[in-house]
Amino acid sequence: MLENVVLTRRHYVPWRLRVRNFTGGIASGLVIAFAILVAAGVSPGAIVNEFIVQVFLNSRGLAQTVTTATPLIMVGLGAAAALKLRFWNIGVGGQVWLGALGSTWIAINDIGPPEMRLPLMLAVSVVAGSAWIAIPVFFKLRYGVNEIIMTLLLEYIAFRLVQHLVFGPWQDPNTSFPVSEHLDSIERLGRLGWGNAHSGIWIALGAGVLMWLLMERSRFGYYAEAIGLNPVTAKGTGLPVTLTIVLAVLLSGGLAGLAGGTIVAGAEYRLTQFLGQGYTFSAIVIAFIARFRPIPIVITAFVIAGIFTAGETLKVFYSLSEAIVILIESVILFSVLVSEFFSSFRIRVLKTAPAK
Amino acid sequence: MAKALELLGLSKAFDGNRVLHLASLEIEWGEVHALLGENGAGKSTIMNIANGVYAADAGEIRVDGRKVDISGPSDATSLGLGMVHQHFKLVKRFSVAENILLSCRRQLSITSVGEAALAVAAKGAEVGFPVKPDAVVGELSIAEQQRVEILKVLLLGAKIVILDEPTAVLTEEESGSVLSFVRNLALHGHAVVLITHKLREVIGYSDRVTVMRYGKTVLKGATANEQTAESLAMHMVGEHMPEIKPLKRQPGEERLVVERLSVSCLNGGVGVNQVNLSVRSGEILGIAGVGGNGQQELMDCLTGLRACSEGIIRLNGRNVTFASVAIRRNGGLRAIPSDRFGSGLVGNMPVFENLGMTRTTSGHYGRGIFFSRARMRQEAEKALAEYGILGATPITPTRLLSGGNAQKLLLARELEEGASILVAHSPTRGLDVRACNAVHTTIRDAVERGAACLLISEDLEEILGLSTRVAVMSHGRIVGEFSVGEATREVIGKLMLGHA
Repeated sequence: MLENVVLTRRHYVPWRLRVRNFTGGIASGLVIAFAILVAAGVSPGAIVNEFIVQVFLNSRGLAQTVTTATPLIMVGLGAAAALKLRFWNIGVGGQVWLGALGSTWIAINDIGPPEMRLPLMLAVSVVAGSAWIAIPVFFKLRYGVNEIIMTLLLEYIAFRLVQHLVFGPWQDPNTSFPVSEHLDSIERLGRLGWGNAHSGIWIALGAGVLMWLLMERSRFGYYAEAIGLNPVTAKGTGLPVTLTIVLAVLLSGGLAGLAGGTIVAGAEYRLTQFLGQGYTFSAIVIAFIARFRPIPIVITAFVIAGIFTAGETLKVFYSLSEAIVILIESVILFSVLVSEFFSSFRIRVLKTAPAK
Repeated sequence: MAKALELLGLSKAFDGNRVLHLASLEIEWGEVHALLGENGAGKSTIMNIANGVYAADAGEIRVDGRKVDISGPSDATSLGLGMVHQHFKLVKRFSVAENILLSCRRQLSITSVGEAALAVAAKGAEVGFPVKPDAVVGELSIAEQQRVEILKVLLLGAKIVILDEPTAVLTEEESGSVLSFVRNLALHGHAVVLITHKLREVIGYSDRVTVMRYGKTVLKGATANEQTAESLAMHMVGEHMPEIKPLKRQPGEERLVVERLSVSCLNGGVGVNQVNLSVRSGEILGIAGVGGNGQQELMDCLTGLRACSEGIIRLNGRNVTFASVAIRRNGGLRAIPSDRFGSGLVGNMPVFENLGMTRTTSGHYGRGIFFSRARMRQEAEKALAEYGILGATPITPTRLLSGGNAQKLLLARELEEGASILVAHSPTRGLDVRACNAVHTTIRDAVERGAACLLISEDLEEILGLSTRVAVMSHGRIVGEFSVGEATREVIGKLMLGHA
């Protein structure tokens, strides 16, 4: 069986093929998801309505997708900045938490002049995210400590730290819920007047453009590329290996922190118990699907945000269980990842089977 | 008597690239038949077809006069064909007997390690090639692992034994031993195919020789001792290679001085021990030695990738013992590492980005945040032409280059302006005659223009052919130094093995 099917690795992968396979992957994922939903008792017409019309063609759905995409773009860019240099930051969520924590700290303590409050909040979220990842980068470069374990565990620590604050010193005295006080209006990112979408999307898109310039046009990006692909060669040719790694990794933490800051200032208006959860997984998936390249990251983040939006509506309106929603999201992501295989390999069927 | 193996009119294309075109090879029983050709001539492909790894697009295979179809390595085994690959197919953490049990249990109908141990010991004694059955393969030397691989093939019942460049990884002494063993096999009636590109092995150890070039057979079954090195090289390359001219330049000022240099080694290697060296402008100092005697550590310490524990390194008079890689490069030190794709080039970057790598750090393409890829590409275009890197464009992914082209690319980058001392480690390893010649000419020309070169190589031919002085390295020390006239193969060979 399959004896005359031959796999050959492609030497060049044309971008048209990559786009075709990416869309093909999403399409086949949607087909499988469709089957699962029909089996779960949702009528086919309703599925088409939810997935296509509500998410991408309906203004409200699109607004929700843009809102969800805002932090996803930033964490995707952040994850890619470190992963590209083979610094396995799998604690992106931890840096998101620290960013959220930093901006909340500025806001609830009313630090700085009111007109500078919002920029200061965002700046502190960047610094807080960078500081959180500075710990593993220091230990890795100085003592060779494994960054995978450190970034992962620091995410748990960050999560517990936030729980401590929202249940303790930062808990809103006006409620018994584990949330901080509401932000003042000057501390909020402006709404676009379109669903919940806020001006954080401009920050995210701006970060995308800056990262594109930095990673694909600048000397820094060129060094990063060389170091990621072959660190031994990079060292031997005298590239500033350590400096480049440190800067890229701090940038990674900073972008994740900024995502946390914009969630607080743009979407939630306060620090909540779960606002930073799930970002590590999404960030890494987005970075890998987009092959660490900034523009594809922005596009992928929108697609994934769309899938999330559809999942939410299905959950609410068809009372599907959380498990089904996660299942269909996973099926779609899995299909996209598998489609990569067809970009990397050419499959040929030999006309004659090898001689027996 | 029927011929042992006949490969008649074989053709094969991969992805539209023709690698074999009506190639033929005929092997008699009881002979050592050398299969000679440059890299990419189709030697390995034709033998892989015989061994059932690939299927030929056209042509026919006869074993002992009978036309056969070989659709996989197991078919080849049952027909009495066995191949010893360059990369051994052994489980390193298993003992010799366990490896034999793993591969031969069906053919020998054995079920225990004990039986396997008896079988391999008996076979070893029978053919005069003993191995210890309970030794762990990973702890054996390369030569001993090769013995295990050969015995495995014999235990599987091979009467036609194909050896793919068996001496490529061995020292002179070990090569002699395996080649006489191979002669002995032929004497006992086996047919042996010796794939090689070393001319001395053809003339010294083979009965007949077939030469391949660009997928065709250009010399078929000629009597080996009627051939000369020149005639064989001519058939292999299809043209006469220009001789490397001796250096005309007289040695000038000291470029590289190393005093009492010691490098400790973490991984149980020998490191470098109290080495003194001096290389002048216009000189090529060859460092001969068996691999693993401190050459890599010396190289890494000179280029700045590894710290020394003692000693001084001076570059054009300047102490660079503790200087970074970048500072040494700016001071004129350039390096050709032995593993060109592992530590010299970035395979997944295009050619022009590899060429421009060092010049980007120096600010040649722009000192600010951004740099000019367009200019990098233009300069790459020129360098490709100047160094004769054919068949590649600036945007070709570097991993697609042949070994020869990759090495020329590396030389082009390393010899850019300001190169005053070149440290080259095995610069022609794995290259064909033509590429070898080009690399040697390039190095020689750079030295003629006033550079100095430290040439570290395990290939004695290369050392003797190119150097103006020769030093021998053994157990991390320099154990002898000669001017090129007074160095003989024998003396150097003995020093390399620590026998003097």
